[in-house]
Amino acid sequence: MHTLLDDYAQCNALKDVSPKVKLLLGLGSILICISSSTPAAPLFVAVSMSVIIVGIARVPVRFYAKLLLIPLSFALLSSAVVAFMHGTGTPVFSLSVLGLDLSVRDDGARLAALLIARTLGGMCSLFFIALTTPMIEIFSVLKSIRVPEVLLELSMMIYRYIFVFLDQAAMIHNAQTMRLGDSSLRTSVNSFAMLCSVLFLQAWEQGERLIVAMDARCYDGRLDLLHQSSRTSARSVMIVLAYLSVALAVAVLTREYQLL
Amino acid sequence: MHIMEGFLPHPWWEIWFAISLPVVAYGVYKMNQLVKEQRDSLPLLAVAGAFIFVLSSLKLPSVTGSCSHPTGTGMGAILFGPWITSVLATIVLVYQALFLAHGGLTTLGANVFSMGIAGPIVGYLVYKAAMGSRLNLYLAVFLAAMLADWATYLVTSIQLALAFPAATGGFLASFKAFALVFAVTQVPLAIVEGAVTALMFKYIFQLRSDVLLRLKVITPATVSRMKEASL
Repeated sequence: MHTLLDDYAQCNALKDVSPKVKLLLGLGSILICISSSTPAAPLFVAVSMSVIIVGIARVPVRFYAKLLLIPLSFALLSSAVVAFMHGTGTPVFSLSVLGLDLSVRDDGARLAALLIARTLGGMCSLFFIALTTPMIEIFSVLKSIRVPEVLLELSMMIYRYIFVFLDQAAMIHNAQTMRLGDSSLRTSVNSFAMLCSVLFLQAWEQGERLIVAMDARCYDGRLDLLHQSSRTSARSVMIVLAYLSVALAVAVLTREYQLL
Repeated sequence: MHIMEGFLPHPWWEIWFAISLPVVAYGVYKMNQLVKEQRDSLPLLAVAGAFIFVLSSLKLPSVTGSCSHPTGTGMGAILFGPWITSVLATIVLVYQALFLAHGGLTTLGANVFSMGIAGPIVGYLVYKAAMGSRLNLYLAVFLAAMLADWATYLVTSIQLALAFPAATGGFLASFKAFALVFAVTQVPLAIVEGAVTALMFKYIFQLRSDVLLRLKVITPATVSRMKEASL
């Protein structure tokens, strides 16, 4: 039913690169995107990240294209609000609805375009992290920067059970669909509530069994992680730093340049 | 109502991180206490967190045709209280960003505040107030879940309006515009989520009221009152 981004994180061509390098690249480009004052740098990041994800990490193009649609509705709606509400310059577009005079002014339009570009660049960088870095490796990075133990442990157990419950939810949903459980709004609300409650109770009982199982294996409040020794190679760090400085240079060089 | 990666400019994303961090830290402190007291609560919290994630990845019965997901914040707040819910919500939001591409990493602070702190606190207070005035359990759950959703959506609108105030009318005009645009999807969604959560409590109450008792969601007095009413 669901394809999580995590599925690709486990089997992409970049999975053996050190997680620290990949996080540096992803987070670095996000920061460049949101601090850039023109759309040029975010668009550069969006395009180059997409090329890296599809070309180097070998994530299927069709899957990636669908992913790009997820942030679209939020970005367009919110940017539209910003475009109408913001700005004092000359109007470039206006319409009147129910006696209200709405107009998009040039600086409002510019801000909206910048926001769409930033969201696009930011999301592409986020996709890069999500699609190339397995969660287990992110855990070991978090552990090395001393995130509280109880938080990490909780995260790891949640991570494990997400997949168990997703399967169960899919099975229940299929069974309900086969019995016309979502033929009308009324029945589908009812089926959905039933799905959630059964899932909750199954989860709860799974949790009770988990306590017993962990006790039986001498659980003392600590789960240890097996570190995978993926070395941070100097070459990959250099490449990432070179990329980030190019993106930064684009941001700095285009900061005066206005499209509209 | 996730704010997507890259949408919040400097300095707003840092500000929301600074506001959310102490609350989540207090939640971690509370959780540590709970785990020390009852060792077996950690696995139960873990399955609850996974449950909230799975819930939020399912599509609600669609009303407006938009892609609508339940948030589970009201439910979390009723079951575990607002502090622990803030910790669970933070973890779930990171997973949503990384697995489902909902939300983002720099906007995490703002999203945690709206979905993991403001929503649950409202839901929790509504639930306590409704139960205090001896309202029907399911009505209380319905109101708590629905108002928690609305609180989340209003806070998100406030966050966006603060970051992008209107040229004429400032923050207030911008807030109205954001609230209006998102109301189309969020208002019916919250009603559906309220109904689903209330029905869910009905099933859980029928099958395993002991779980609800253990979490101190309901008191033995409520159970006997409701059992009598159903006879």
